This record gives sequence, structure tokens and C-alpha cells, in this order.
Amino acid sequence: MLLERIFTTDFFFSVLRITAPILFATLGAVIGEKAGISNIGLEGIMMISALFGSLTAYWSGSWAMGVLLALLIGILVSLLMGFFSFNLKTDIILTGVAVNMIGSGGTLFLVKVITQLTEGSAMASTTSLITKSLQTPSVNIPLLKDIPVLGGILSGHSVLTYLAFLLVFFTWVMLYRTPLGLNIRSVGENPNAAASVGVSVLRIRYIAIGFSGAMAGLGGAYMSMYYAMGWSQDMVAGRGFIALAAQAMGAGEPFGAMLAALVFGLAQALGIKVSSLGADSNLVSPIPYLVTILGLVIFALVARSRTQRRHSAAALASAAGK
Amino acid sequence: MNKRQSLLFSLIRGGAAIFIALLVTTFLIFISADAPDGASFGAAVSAKLSLTGGALRQLLIGPAFRANGSISVKNLSDILASMIPIIFTGLATCVMFSANQFNLGAEGGVMLGAFTGALAAIYLDLPAGLLAVVCVLIAAASVGVMMLIPAVLKARLGVSEMVNSLMLNYVVMYLIKYLLNTYLADKSKGQIQSYPFRAGAAIPQLVDNGSKLSWGFVVALAFVVITALFMYRTRWGYAIRMIGINQDFAMYSGMKVGGIVILSQVLGGVLAGMGGSIEMLGRYTTFSWGALPGYGWTGITVAILAGNNPAFVPLAAFFMAYLNKGCNLMSTYSGVPAQLIDIIQALIFLFFAAEQFLSRYRQKLVVRNTQAELAAKATPAEGSVK
Repeated sequence: MLLERIFTTDFFFSVLRITAPILFATLGAVIGEKAGISNIGLEGIMMISALFGSLTAYWSGSWAMGVLLALLIGILVSLLMGFFSFNLKTDIILTGVAVNMIGSGGTLFLVKVITQLTEGSAMASTTSLITKSLQTPSVNIPLLKDIPVLGGILSGHSVLTYLAFLLVFFTWVMLYRTPLGLNIRSVGENPNAAASVGVSVLRIRYIAIGFSGAMAGLGGAYMSMYYAMGWSQDMVAGRGFIALAAQAMGAGEPFGAMLAALVFGLAQALGIKVSSLGADSNLVSPIPYLVTILGLVIFALVARSRTQRRHSAAALASAAGK
Repeated sequence: MNKRQSLLFSLIRGGAAIFIALLVTTFLIFISADAPDGASFGAAVSAKLSLTGGALRQLLIGPAFRANGSISVKNLSDILASMIPIIFTGLATCVMFSANQFNLGAEGGVMLGAFTGALAAIYLDLPAGLLAVVCVLIAAASVGVMMLIPAVLKARLGVSEMVNSLMLNYVVMYLIKYLLNTYLADKSKGQIQSYPFRAGAAIPQLVDNGSKLSWGFVVALAFVVITALFMYRTRWGYAIRMIGINQDFAMYSGMKVGGIVILSQVLGGVLAGMGGSIEMLGRYTTFSWGALPGYGWTGITVAILAGNNPAFVPLAAFFMAYLNKGCNLMSTYSGVPAQLIDIIQALIFLFFAAEQFLSRYRQKLVVRNTQAELAAKATPAEGSVK
């Protein structure tokens, strides 16, 4: 049976593994968007963090240092984006495009300069630097791992995978249960109103974009220190952009966006599985991107019919009132 | 501020942006230059400085002049040739950004245009001359149709054209790779490439020195004029600029916003598609692109440098092509990786697009100007009282 060959325990395990980096970036997009910031630089931030994370892990001999530095680089780059966008009034989308340029070509420049690896003209990468011991470690969850199917799917992931899903909850708590979250949402909803009650809009925006960059930084660390061994050119491959779509499909809410990210993870895992069964990889690789477009369309259609229904219900109610 | 001063301010601002970018570039080159092993600190620094100087010379002067100081015609024609695709993507981005449509699909558009143009050049049997024109038209139309996807979804459903166009770039790339590998590749060749184009499809060269400076350059300049006239002298161009400035105002004054949103992106696609096919037919004899070419992103930089005004696109494209050539020369002769161009590009881009960059200086200019005007007005007024 083809379906049995596809939907194995390993397959669902890989869905979670593939979803995690998208989820990190998605949370970054969610927090940014809540503060009214469209952070399209997530892709570039992930590339830059992935590079410096893997280099630091190599130099320090510790994966934790690598992850920490990736996180810090993510925050640093996003704060720089903030400086250009909030203080110098560069359009946030253009700032993002610039960060993505640095992420795709600039990182290659840096890796050549830093590691002196110039084999070929474009083959520089840090794949030779990251060994098994520098990967973020996998964790077996004590009781869970003994449960038959579920254990195989949920246990044995990287610490970062668990962190990604935990952060969904923490992001929700931060946005809806803390004063900071209230301020972030109010700045995104109406900056003038927020300013009028004494919220420092600039400060809140910096904090929000900093969070956004931190998430992308973790996503970058995941890419170069767990998903793949080391950094290589264009390794993020649009995950930062897919995250923007997941954010939109999840209506900007952490849990909804997590579900959307899982859909993309599923699509990508399916693609990898199908191509391992013999399908052309060039035919399978665009699936996540196509699913993104379809997902956005379906989401928009559903949202539209929902508002229409609400409007007609309101019209009926007011007609009945007369 | 009068027009002359405002132009002067833009020039100073642009100059400052480029200066800062070059300062950072110098710093990066200095870091990446190799000092001889075992040299003392002072010797290492001086060795690095001289290497940096040499690399900077390659970057800034190399594209135009040879080592002996004479003008390098070959390098300059290389630069003009590499302007062709980025003029088109620059124009495409100008049109789309003018309407406030952040469609980033010029990248995929160039590749699709190059591909459909190449297909037509291989499989259509038409007389020479006509064939090239038909190829470019087919390419333009195909990318125009591709852009309908993000455009219509934006206009009808409000789906972000930015995300959709980015996703389309990847879809287009993989689809082309699939079609090329599976159905269209010339299996007798060692690398993956299509069958050769018909001779009649080639765009004739302007200069025959291997620079691949084709008549496409003239076509590109013609389209600069056409696009500029379209944007500033026609109703549709006006409508596109208006919805970019204030979409609500445009809607309430009776413009069909949805239609204009679609028009701007389809036109952007048409221009990108033309650029792709002209680049393909003017430079190559078979199709062998296996990845997105990057012209779309450079086109965005070009559009930002040109302030979304088509008339300035050739200047901005020249600037970017010059720097790109300089980076290539630098990596050949000084060993500084050519990808430095992406960092330079991003920096110039950021400062150019920064509205508030040097705003204090601008403020001072305005104040001084107004004071001078007031003083000039006050003097004759006093005179008339007496």
C-alpha cells in the first residue's frame, strides 16, 4: 500500500522536524505583525544567524554557544532594521529586502573571508565544520518515548524543536497576558492611540522587532545546527517567506499560525517522501510554495465569506429591529 | 525649498549614501585582505592597507580605465551589456512600486521570460528578424500572464502580492528546471542545456568584441522613454501613480483601483519578461539557467536609486553594473570575494530609501531659505512704506 509506505511514524516525526524552523520564523512574523511591522527580512536574518551560529559552535566547541550567538545576531540584525525603518524612515519592506540581499550574497562573502574556504567559486560553506557533537542534542522524553506510535513521533527531537513549540505558548502568554503584549498589540492596532495614553511607540516597536529577530535567529540556528550540518548557500530556501504566509493564514495568532506552519511542514515532508519514492525532485520541491499560495487564497476566501455573513446577519437584525 | 535646491539636496544625500557604503566596503576589504604570515603588527597593517588600496582601485577605477590609464572599451561595453536586463527589471519595479504594489516577482519573471523566449527561439519556424521579435513578445505575454496570479489575488481577495510573488519565484524556477531536465534538454551535451536557438532568433550585436552588447541595449533605452512617457503622460500612468500615493483618495475620486492594481503588476511582468528574453537571445545560444538569475533583486535596487522614476533608471542601472564589474575585477585580481557587491548594494539601498536620512540638514536648508525669502520680502515692503 502506497499510503502505508508514506504515512509512517518516521514521516510524522519528520513533519515536526521540518516544521520547527518554519515555526520559529512564523512566530517572528506573528510578533512583528502584531506591532504593525511586516518583517520580510526573516529570511535574511535566518541565513545570517545560521552562518554565525555554526561558526561560533565550531570555534567554541559548544552547540549552546552557537545557538546563543545565533539568537543574539538575530536580535542585532533586527534592531538594525528597526533603526533604518523607525528612525531613518526606510520602508520596512525595503529594509527587509536589503537584509535578504545580505543574507543571500553577503553571507557567502563573509564565509569566504572568515573561513578562507574558496574551493570552486561558489562552494564555500561551513558543512565541514559542524560535526555530530556540535549539533543541538536530541532529547528522549522519559515516559512518552515508550508509548508505541506517539513516542516515535513526539520523542527524540532536538531541544530546539521542543523549544519552537513551547515558544508558541510563551508567545501567546507574552502577547495576551502581559502588559508588554498589550502595548505591542495596541501599537500595532493604532499607534496614535497608544502614544496618546503614554506608550512609547518607538520603544515598543524596537522590542517587537527584536523579538521577531530573536525567533528568526533561533530558526537560523536550527537550520545550520540540526536540520543540516553546517551552513551552505541559500539553505533557508524561502522558509522566512513561507513564515509570512503562515502568519497570514493563522490570522496573526500564535496557535493558528502554528497550525499553518504544520501544514507547510506536512507539505514539505510529503514532497521529500514522494521524491524518495522516485518522483522528480524538481516537480516535488515547489509543492510547499504552491501550498502557500493556495493556503493564502483559501484563507482569504473563508475570511471574506465570514465577514459577508456577519454583515448580512447584522443587516437582517437591524431590519427585524425596525 | 525651490526646485534647484531640492535637486541639490537629493544629490548630496545620494552622494552621502554612496560614500557611507564605500566606507563600509573599504573596511570590509581591509578585514578580508590577507596579511603576510609572521609579519609584525605595523608591517601587517601597512601590507593590508596597500592591498586594500589596490582592491579599491580595481573596484572604482578598474571598470573604466586600464592599468596604463587609457579608457577600457571592452570593460565599458561589458558594463553596458550587463545593464540590459537590469534596466528592464528596474523599469518593471518602478511601475509596480509606483502603484505601491510590492510585487517581488521580477526575479521569477526574468527567468520565465528567458525560458519562454528560448522555447520560441528553438521551436518556432519564422523568418529571421521577425522570429526575435515574436520570441520577445511571447516572453513578455507569458510573464504578464504569470503576474496575473498575484495581481488578481491582490485586487479581488486582498492577498499579499509580496508573499505570492515570492512564492511564485520558487515555483517558476523549479517548474523550468523540471521541464528543462525532463523534456527539453539536449541529451548529447554533458551539461543540462536546451537545444540551440534558431540562428534567426539571435539579437544582433552592436559591437563585436565578445561583450554581448546587443541591440537589446537600444531596445532597453527605448523602453525607458516609453515607460517614462507612459507613467507621466498618460491617464493610466497617472492612475498608477495616484493609487500609489493615496489609494483611498483614488477610489473615492472614481478610479477603478482593482483594475489599476492588476494593470501595474501585469505591466511589470511584461517588462521583466522582455528583459529576460532579450538577455537570453542577445547573450546565449542555448538555455541553461538552473537558478534564479538575481536580476530581479538588482532591479529593485535600481528602482530605489532612481526614486521610482523611469527616466533615472539607465543612470542607476549603469551605476549598479559598474559596481558589479568592479567587484568582479576586484575578486579576480585581489582575491576579495565578488559577493561583496551584495553588501554594497544593500547598504546603498538602505540609505537611499531612508526618508529621514540627513533630514536635519534638509530642515536647516528649508529654514535658511525661508528666512532669506522673508528678509527679501521685508526689505521692499519697508521701502514702500517710506
